[in-house]
Amino acid sequence: MIHFDNVSKRYPGGYEALSGVNLHLDAGELAFLTGHSGAGKSTLLKLLMLLERPTSGALLINGKNVSRLSNFRIPSYRRQLGVVFQDHQLLMDRTVFDNVALPLQVAGFSRKETGRRVRAALDSVGLLSKEKQSPLALSGGEQQRVGIARAVVHKPRILLADEPTGNLDPELSAEIMNLFQRFQDVGVTVLIATHDIDLIHRLNHRIVRLDQGSVAEGGGAYAPAF
Amino acid sequence: MPQPSNQTARRGAVGAKVGLRAKMGAVIAHHRHTLEDSLIRLLRDPFQTLMTTVVVAIALSLPATLLLVVDNVRQFENNFDSFSQITVYVNNTASQQQVAVIQEKIQSFSEVNSLVYVDPKQALNEFTEASGFGSALEYLDDNPLPPVFIIEPAIDVLSLPQKAQKLIAKMVNIDLVDDAQIDMLWLQRLKSLTELGKKVVLALGGALGLGVLVIIGNSIRLAIHSRREEIIVVKLVGGTDAYVRRPFLYFGMLQGLFGALVAGIMLTIGFWWLGGSVENISQLYGSHFMLRGPGFQGFFALLGTGFLLGLAGAWLAVGKHLNHIKPR
Ligand SMILES: Nc1ncnc2c1ncn2[C@@H]1O[C@H](COP(=O)(O)OP(=O)(O)O)[C@@H](O)[C@H]1O
Ligand SMILES: [Mg+2]
Repeated sequence: MIHFDNVSKRYPGGYEALSGVNLHLDAGELAFLTGHSGAGKSTLLKLLMLLERPTSGALLINGKNVSRLSNFRIPSYRRQLGVVFQDHQLLMDRTVFDNVALPLQVAGFSRKETGRRVRAALDSVGLLSKEKQSPLALSGGEQQRVGIARAVVHKPRILLADEPTGNLDPELSAEIMNLFQRFQDVGVTVLIATHDIDLIHRLNHRIVRLDQGSVAEGGGAYAPAF
Repeated sequence: MPQPSNQTARRGAVGAKVGLRAKMGAVIAHHRHTLEDSLIRLLRDPFQTLMTTVVVAIALSLPATLLLVVDNVRQFENNFDSFSQITVYVNNTASQQQVAVIQEKIQSFSEVNSLVYVDPKQALNEFTEASGFGSALEYLDDNPLPPVFIIEPAIDVLSLPQKAQKLIAKMVNIDLVDDAQIDMLWLQRLKSLTELGKKVVLALGGALGLGVLVIIGNSIRLAIHSRREEIIVVKLVGGTDAYVRRPFLYFGMLQGLFGALVAGIMLTIGFWWLGGSVENISQLYGSHFMLRGPGFQGFFALLGTGFLLGLAGAWLAVGKHLNHIKPR
């Protein structure tokens, strides 16, 4: 589903954030992306979101090289993804419902269908009762769950998260990770960047470790490390 | 049997149609939603909206006023034939009888509608009374004023210069007639003034139209700035450029429309208010001239102009400022 083939990324300043990354994720797999601060985790996710383009190498999504996708096709590509950020990027001047509805509005869903799917997504993160509230009225953990609902409302095949638990205490973090596992259970491919080592070592999932822009561990096809 | 398969095909076509219709419905719904949302945003920031509206209204109403003035003056010029006149000067030495003969001759011309004789004695008396030079004029031996006929020609004469020229030649040829003149010089001056006026309207309209673009562009720039986060999120979840642009285009269109609406109302009221006094004056001079306001057509032309300028200003601003916001 996700395949990095010798991908490098050099930023305009000249700094090489990723060098020769090889990484393969099967459809329906869940992997954690770890590494020290500045290792290149966010850069790798940005390449997947086409927020940045690889300097060299090929990035295949579902067998298709997207690294040279024209700007015109970016929106429809992004609609296959769900993305979650550490700072959740919710719009504070809209209700929870309207925040979650955004990916559907952008894709041209009817009002009725939008309402149905938004409620289903909010239900799956346990926030159906808060649909009419402003995100400002919610706790940090709840805000992040709204962010996750928005990321999955359009049923993407790939879910990307950049430090989704960075601002949360351990208990809430575990809760959020459980949520991601439930989306994997229904077939979504999930890639989560985090440096919450303690937490992810308790969960039995593949760990990809980046070091200075290269994959130090876990890049190949999934093989349980017994 | 071919019929069932035929029916199936038709059913399939209907299904596709409904799908398309649903999609169209969603797009239309989004347009409507965006329009409502833009309206709400404009009302939520009444000061900024009012400022922009007033400035746009002034910028639109200045050239529109001038245009209407030029339009009215031209209408006035066209209206003018009905009270333009030819003055015929008779030689001072002509006797009463000779003057009467001249009068008969002029009246016999088919090009002449009516004529008024101004007696020199009567004219001098009136002048003496009106000017207050009474005692000074008593020293004059002879009356310096010639006998004069003021002629109102038939309607078609003055609109055709050759015909007017011919009539004048005919009258000058009459014995003891010194001269005949059309009082048209000022009309020609007026015409060249309105030509100039048209050019001024064009130049001013262009400059102020550019001003409206800048004003609306600036207000769009502010709107883009204040909605930066939203733009980023919309792009992240796969919003197209058209989707991102749409609310700002509506915003600009609405501001242009508001400004034009205010300008149109101001002009309509202003010209209606002036129209009353102008009508009184023109009746005094026996004219049917009436001041013309913007009217329905002008009003809608103004709205259209505001709408297009708003749209263009927004389009330019969006093109310039949206590209600065990452992500692409
Ligand atoms: N837009 C950018 N321009 C230049 N350098 C950048 C940019 N973004 C990230 N970097 C650099 O690339 C390296 C990797 O950053 P990042 O991918 O954010 O790492 P991580 O998310 O693992 O902390 C860092 O050294 C960072 O300074
Ligand atoms: Mg990072």
